[in-house]
Amino acid sequence: MAQIQERGSTHVYKVNKISKEEMENMVTRCVYEEAPFCNAACPLKLDTRAMLKAAAAGDFKKALQLYEKAATFPLIVSAGCEAPCEQKCRLCECGEGLAIREVEAAVARFGQAQRLGGIFRTKKKKTVAVLGSGLFALFLAGELEKKAYPITVFCEQPDLENFLRCGTEFLDQEAFGLELKRLKGKDISFVFSCSITADFLAEKRVAFDVLCISEAVFARLLPSAAFVPELQYCEEEKLVTGSSAGVMDAAFQAKKAALTVDRLAQNLDPRNMRGQEDPFESRLYTDLSAAKELARIPAQTGGYTKEEAVKEAGRCIQCHCDECMKSCAYLKHYKKYPGLLSREIFNNTQIIMGDHQLNKPMNACTLCGQCTAVCPNGFDMAHVCATARRNMVSTDKMPLAPHEFALMDMIFSNGDAFLARPQPGVEKCKYVFFPGCQAVAVAPETVKAAYLDLCERLEGGVALMLGCCGAICDWAGRYEMQAGTREFLLQEFSKLGDPVIIAGCPTCKKELAESVGGEIIGIWDVLEEIGLPEDAHGLDRPAALHDACGARGDAPTQEAIRDLARKLGVTLVETEYSGDRAPCCGYGGLTAYANPEVAAEITQKALERSDAPFLSYCMACRDRFARQGRESRHILELVYGTDAGAPPDISEKRYNRLNLKKELLSELWHEETAEMKLDYTLEYTDEARQLMDGRMILTDDVIAVLNYFRETGEAILDDETGLMIARKRVGNATFWVKFTQPEPDHYLVHRAYSHRMNVVRRDG
Amino acid sequence: MAAERNYYTIDPEGKLQCVKCGVKLIKGKAKFMYLDNGFPVELPVCPVCGFVYVPEELALGKVLSVEKALEDK
Repeated sequence: MAQIQERGSTHVYKVNKISKEEMENMVTRCVYEEAPFCNAACPLKLDTRAMLKAAAAGDFKKALQLYEKAATFPLIVSAGCEAPCEQKCRLCECGEGLAIREVEAAVARFGQAQRLGGIFRTKKKKTVAVLGSGLFALFLAGELEKKAYPITVFCEQPDLENFLRCGTEFLDQEAFGLELKRLKGKDISFVFSCSITADFLAEKRVAFDVLCISEAVFARLLPSAAFVPELQYCEEEKLVTGSSAGVMDAAFQAKKAALTVDRLAQNLDPRNMRGQEDPFESRLYTDLSAAKELARIPAQTGGYTKEEAVKEAGRCIQCHCDECMKSCAYLKHYKKYPGLLSREIFNNTQIIMGDHQLNKPMNACTLCGQCTAVCPNGFDMAHVCATARRNMVSTDKMPLAPHEFALMDMIFSNGDAFLARPQPGVEKCKYVFFPGCQAVAVAPETVKAAYLDLCERLEGGVALMLGCCGAICDWAGRYEMQAGTREFLLQEFSKLGDPVIIAGCPTCKKELAESVGGEIIGIWDVLEEIGLPEDAHGLDRPAALHDACGARGDAPTQEAIRDLARKLGVTLVETEYSGDRAPCCGYGGLTAYANPEVAAEITQKALERSDAPFLSYCMACRDRFARQGRESRHILELVYGTDAGAPPDISEKRYNRLNLKKELLSELWHEETAEMKLDYTLEYTDEARQLMDGRMILTDDVIAVLNYFRETGEAILDDETGLMIARKRVGNATFWVKFTQPEPDHYLVHRAYSHRMNVVRRDG
Repeated sequence: MAAERNYYTIDPEGKLQCVKCGVKLIKGKAKFMYLDNGFPVELPVCPVCGFVYVPEELALGKVLSVEKALEDK
């Protein structure tokens, strides 16, 4: 059998670029990282969601810390805030939006004020002065103190109380007292009773690195100068300024001004690197079904009590999007939302030298497309992983080991086990039945029954083609093999006169439609047309229908299967994720080969949907579920009254394919195949069979080792166990077999193992 | 001259014998090769025919983990 060339070296220092635009285009569809709606609407960028979460948990200290991060004087801000967040609260769509401002006020009242660093806090070197008073000057001083600038406020007021009173006349006595205490606790130097004149300004220009000035003073001293509102900066005069017209405006302008000061202090252009400052529309998706408490807790005159605030904050549904993480066991396994995982996978392809740590996650995606169906923005993880795999193959950086077994299986399907023949007695057939490699491997009797039925009941003749559609190399990212497979299949279909393809498997249908094209229907479509065989009957108990990922987005196929099930008399149990939203069985994308652990988790997750037996219409699904110990039937088994029984092991799967080919060739086309008979007796212990299945070692590999041993006599004897040990390099791996020899031509295999590294003797 | 480095050493301690040559395996020099990388080791070797034995524990342990590490390079 043909071999696949192993990559020559690990020393490949080239990458095929994936453009930043291409990557961003795919990655930005994921809205997991998007700000919640309340946060996006807030000019101060308060992390409202986190604050409400802390408040709901009764942790007012943490809630206040979060609030103070956005608002340096929380009581002033909460009293004067117009709460744009409340209008954007998603609860407004199904009930009353959250009373965020009232909760904030309660947090400001009941929370414990944060102390920043104290005397040990390292100050920045550049000095800043603020000239004037009012809300802007107050907030700006607060923001700059938070950024650890040594800051001095020069104001006309005689003391701190009068400075704070300026613009905060609306505060009640209690709130004023608390804010005064907060201001006193801040590390800000004050110079009171200043007469701020042009000379005074000139003097301070020299004394300080950055100078800030309230709008009132700015207008009085420099009536003709203009400033850029986006930066709160007058470039001409080198002054940072802002207005105190309203609480929110002043607070927002102080935030922008503080960023400008920060940039100026570092001698950087204040126009650059400002990030998202203005409120914006969030793209986040929220599942509103989590909303339970829809009515607001009414606030008393003095605001919420602690308990009321906790209760109201508890109504927050903590907007976040995890639609894909809820449904996909693969994403759940890696605990990364698709935006981040995709970025990491793309970066993995661009590594010139070093470890490709994301190879495993990249090869563990089943490429099933469920995430795209459940994502509100249609994020396509399959496209990301498939692109990355092809990219790595193109630079010869893709390891062969994870996919080699499956690829060799495909070569076997389209080589030794391949069969293409017109219906006996029909020269040019109207149809060709293409059951798919897994159907033949898992349920050969069912395939045979289906083919004989089609031959009997369809007009125009039905040819048969046993082979692989090419999905295997497509999934592995081996695009050159895929092109070769396409060419091969095109030729074979052409030899049969390009008949209408009747696919037995939805993945084959999809893959063949994309590669060879032409008219392709499913066997389910044919059965809908010609009806079920007379003795077809369903199960005597309800079954859960598992939709195949090959049929995602193919509503007619999904509906045809449901209709067939109904006609068979099967009572179908509805599951949460079905139709286009169905999960993969774990076989897709070659996950079962590249990462058996993740594949098992995916299968388990798919099975958790129901306790009923599973009915599927892809033989790989049937096999995965049965292997996990669940009663699992393919719809064609019910249609033709066959039972594929216990799942075959990897060697039996190959045997089934060869055997069906041999059987059909003999019975239908009267061609006898020479039987490959061993001239010795070969047996396996149960343990050996189990080990071989888990380690992907075929009976053919064992036979190769024993043939080599018989030819050369090369083996060793382990005195401790009494076992003989022989080996043979087959393709890219060395296989070792431990056996006993009860009689000269009789071998009993006890264990088998393999390694890919080649071992040689060395001299010196 | 610098001391020779071996990545792995197994001494058969006289418990293994070559079926073909009928002699005990001895600790001998061998080399693992994979994806253009080589690792000198000492494994049970037949002093006559040169058969190199890779025990199951080694193949499924150290060898497998080095294979995986190299594959992801």
